[in-house]
Amino acid sequence: MAGHRGKENSGTYDVSPHQNSGVLHQSTNDVPVYAELLADSSKSKLPKTNGGGDADEGMNTVLSTGAIKGLLAFTILFLACIVAFASRLFAVIRFESIIHEFDPWFNYRSTHHLVSTSFYDFLNWFDDRAWYPLGRIVGGTVYPGLMVTSGTIHTILNTLNIPVHIRDVCVFLAPLFSGLTSLAGFALTRELWDTSAGLMAACFLAIVPGYISRSVAGSYDNEGIAIFALLFTYYFWIKAVKTGSIAWAAGTALCYFYMVSAWGGYVFIINLIPLHVCVLLLMGRYSQRIYVAFCTFFILGTLLSMQIPFVGFQPVRTSEHMAAAGTFVLLQAYAFLKYVQDYLTKQEFRSLFFFGVTGAAGTVFLGVVFLTYAGYVAPWSGRFYSLYDTGYAKIHIPIIASVSEHQPTTWASFFFDLHVLSCSFPAGLWFVIKEINDERVFIILYAMSAAYFAGVMVRLMLTLTPVVCILASICLSKTLNEYLVDDTPKKEKNDDGEEVEEETEKKNRKLYDKVGARAGKVRKIKQEPEKDSEGTGSNLRGFVVVAIMMMLMMFAIHCTWVTSNAYSSPSIVLATYSDDGSRVILDDFREAYYWLRQNTDEYARVMSWWDYGYQIAGMANRTTLVDNNTWNNSHIALVGKAMSSTEPEAYKIMKMLDVDYVLVIFGGVIGFSGDDINKFLWMVRIAEGEHPQDIRESDYFTSNGEFRVDKGGAPTLLNCLMYKMCYYRFGEVQLDFRTPSGYDRTRGVEIGNKDISFEHLEEAYTTQNWLVRIYKVKDISNKEKVATPSKKSKKKKVTSRKTSKKRRGQIKNKPQIKKGVRKAKNSSKKKSTS
Amino acid sequence: MESLCAIPFSVLQCPNLKLKKPSWIQQPSAMTVYRIVLVSYFLVTGGLIYDVIVEPPSVGQTTDENGNQKPVAFMPYRVNGQYIMEGLASSFLFTVGGLGFVILDKTNAPYMAKLNRLLLLMVGFACILLSFFMCRMFMRMKLPGYLQA
Repeated sequence: MAGHRGKENSGTYDVSPHQNSGVLHQSTNDVPVYAELLADSSKSKLPKTNGGGDADEGMNTVLSTGAIKGLLAFTILFLACIVAFASRLFAVIRFESIIHEFDPWFNYRSTHHLVSTSFYDFLNWFDDRAWYPLGRIVGGTVYPGLMVTSGTIHTILNTLNIPVHIRDVCVFLAPLFSGLTSLAGFALTRELWDTSAGLMAACFLAIVPGYISRSVAGSYDNEGIAIFALLFTYYFWIKAVKTGSIAWAAGTALCYFYMVSAWGGYVFIINLIPLHVCVLLLMGRYSQRIYVAFCTFFILGTLLSMQIPFVGFQPVRTSEHMAAAGTFVLLQAYAFLKYVQDYLTKQEFRSLFFFGVTGAAGTVFLGVVFLTYAGYVAPWSGRFYSLYDTGYAKIHIPIIASVSEHQPTTWASFFFDLHVLSCSFPAGLWFVIKEINDERVFIILYAMSAAYFAGVMVRLMLTLTPVVCILASICLSKTLNEYLVDDTPKKEKNDDGEEVEEETEKKNRKLYDKVGARAGKVRKIKQEPEKDSEGTGSNLRGFVVVAIMMMLMMFAIHCTWVTSNAYSSPSIVLATYSDDGSRVILDDFREAYYWLRQNTDEYARVMSWWDYGYQIAGMANRTTLVDNNTWNNSHIALVGKAMSSTEPEAYKIMKMLDVDYVLVIFGGVIGFSGDDINKFLWMVRIAEGEHPQDIRESDYFTSNGEFRVDKGGAPTLLNCLMYKMCYYRFGEVQLDFRTPSGYDRTRGVEIGNKDISFEHLEEAYTTQNWLVRIYKVKDISNKEKVATPSKKSKKKKVTSRKTSKKRRGQIKNKPQIKKGVRKAKNSSKKKSTS
Repeated sequence: MESLCAIPFSVLQCPNLKLKKPSWIQQPSAMTVYRIVLVSYFLVTGGLIYDVIVEPPSVGQTTDENGNQKPVAFMPYRVNGQYIMEGLASSFLFTVGGLGFVILDKTNAPYMAKLNRLLLLMVGFACILLSFFMCRMFMRMKLPGYLQA
């Protein structure tokens, strides 16, 4: 069907653009009758290449077959989109339509700014409410694709007189785009394999937890739209490689532009596509198509990507992009040598060619190294470098290592996010490697690099997920193909692999399941005597099919469970379950932020650890010192130093930074583990990185190297500002009769320092469950009272003792005379009259 | 053009140089590539990078109510943490599951004896089911509330 697979594609196959694109509208007689498939499924495989199908049977059902297939594909894709959208709405239904987590709050705030002003105002926006003394140039340090996308949707809806608040557009943007992602996944897989695998990939992409984790409703983040852009770019690239047309290559560049505007992960594309080209060259699969596709893409894509203010000149100045430029030069050299080939003998050419290419590659490499050394090209930035040297961030850049989504991945994350797909992924890879062609090389490279990156960082699981869906769908589609479609009448099978199957989607899966199982049993009784020697028994086939169906259903259950339990909490509203099963909502964060919004000065500066910067800016609308855009390490280190030093030391820093309020998150009362005490070591580490003479991490450990908050804890820890702010007056509270007073539920210990008093701070607000505590920084106090004055005051005490002889009397109603004021009478009259 | 190229050779003599591509460089076969890929997949999904960076113990230990030290294979309640052995065990299962699918595909090779076909199919089938259910069991050990709303 979407045929054209296998070895015939290699090297110099001729290009026929209609072969693959027109699948849905194909009206030839190689398409099986769908009804037949359902009823019997014995004649479903009609070879296309032989042309020897049952022509007479096909002709009258041709039109309806094509139509049914098209309709079926359409229905499946439509349902996949709906499922993708609907399964991401758990949080909205359970809580409300609200922006989640941390980064989305900034995106929301800037989208709001974009909508309420104009695009150019947004690009020129200087935000003086963040990074307090410094401010932040938002327009130049943000990937604007996300905001522009939702702003455009908002504008269109408003033009159509559909009044939707921008917040709702933001909340539902990610689910909307995941529907589009599954469409892009379908298109890509169809190019790589066939339509049935594509449909399956669309269904997988719709529900796979690895992608849901970053795209639930309310998680308004770059990744939500970036994965769509990523897959779409790859689809166009595959198309461009297949056809060699400039139009598709230019389309790739345009999609790449959208990707660049949306997410920093575009670097993945600009490295993967050159890698693909390089590997194709190494494999001797160079062709004119690749030359046209890559040159067009590289030139247009680089120019377009430089239009984004945040990216600017990076594509020609940084090492991350140099691979693409190097490949470009290499490709030119290769093409030139190919041209020279015409004028040389074979023997001459072979040596010239080999050494020419090696020399060119070496020159390019040395050139890049030299330019980097000379300072024309910036070396790898730490964030990317830590992908290759995995220990680098841990040692040198604590701020990168401290982010929880930058942690390395464990096996449980793989299983949690991919479930059965993680098993079928290697098999899919095998099928692809077995029948390799130009575009499948790409998917292999994508799979390998993404798998490695996902191992390094939990966050990059997101880029691995689509390729796992694609390869798993290829594997499952091919396996089902062989086991659902009964091949008993034929002797040779799957040599030229033109099998047709339409049973990849979920809705019909169950249907097939039943039919297959039932038909299997019936057929077994009928056929067993005759068909002993060929094929495996249809009974066994039935078992395999049923087992695979069962696993897929379990996959669906797993996805729903994970989505509803792990990935759908807004994280600014916490939900717990009480003993009787009822749900208790802890809304402390918003309580605190609204307190700040209502009760503090409009320009008050709030100091907190950087995690909460965006939320304070978004919800409380107050100026913050540091936030989740961790661009200034030393500023963050200063805040970390204030948090980890003693109160007088911290007061100096806070006065220097004009801090009015300090906000800490404390989970000891309800047992919330993501609080500031648990993050405290990172503050110390980051502060130590910048101020090694003042802060030393070892001071905060006991002599055994433990981090303890109870009596055995290090004295530096027990007296630092963060500890004091978290546990202020906590020693007076007895939460439970079984535990002593001051029992920290998160750490499970009784705290070590119960006698905490402040000199320069005062408690301003503590939320219901003590989750957020806000302190006000006092002004510099008056001069201290002198306890024992050395001089006696000269002022005599005047006491009126009426009994005394020297008494001073007072006249009643004596008129008071003010010196230097004339016409006191007149003025008083005026006053009284007026 | 040709005369232009010939100018330096009027002065210089071409050295009799023979350059040969080293014989050990050859394109690896598809299956070699697949083997490498599979091994690296095994290592990555086993959390090898996590093991290198975080350096967890190979097997955990806990103290039971009698004060005896007991080994624990799985780090419970934590998706983001693991011991070395549990990671390797489960990534082994992932790989076995993948190989199961490959074997299932191999079953359909033409011209194979009936018994062989049957055995292959059984093995492949067992691989897939075993790995799948073992993974589920591992997950239950790790997150005791798994799949229980």
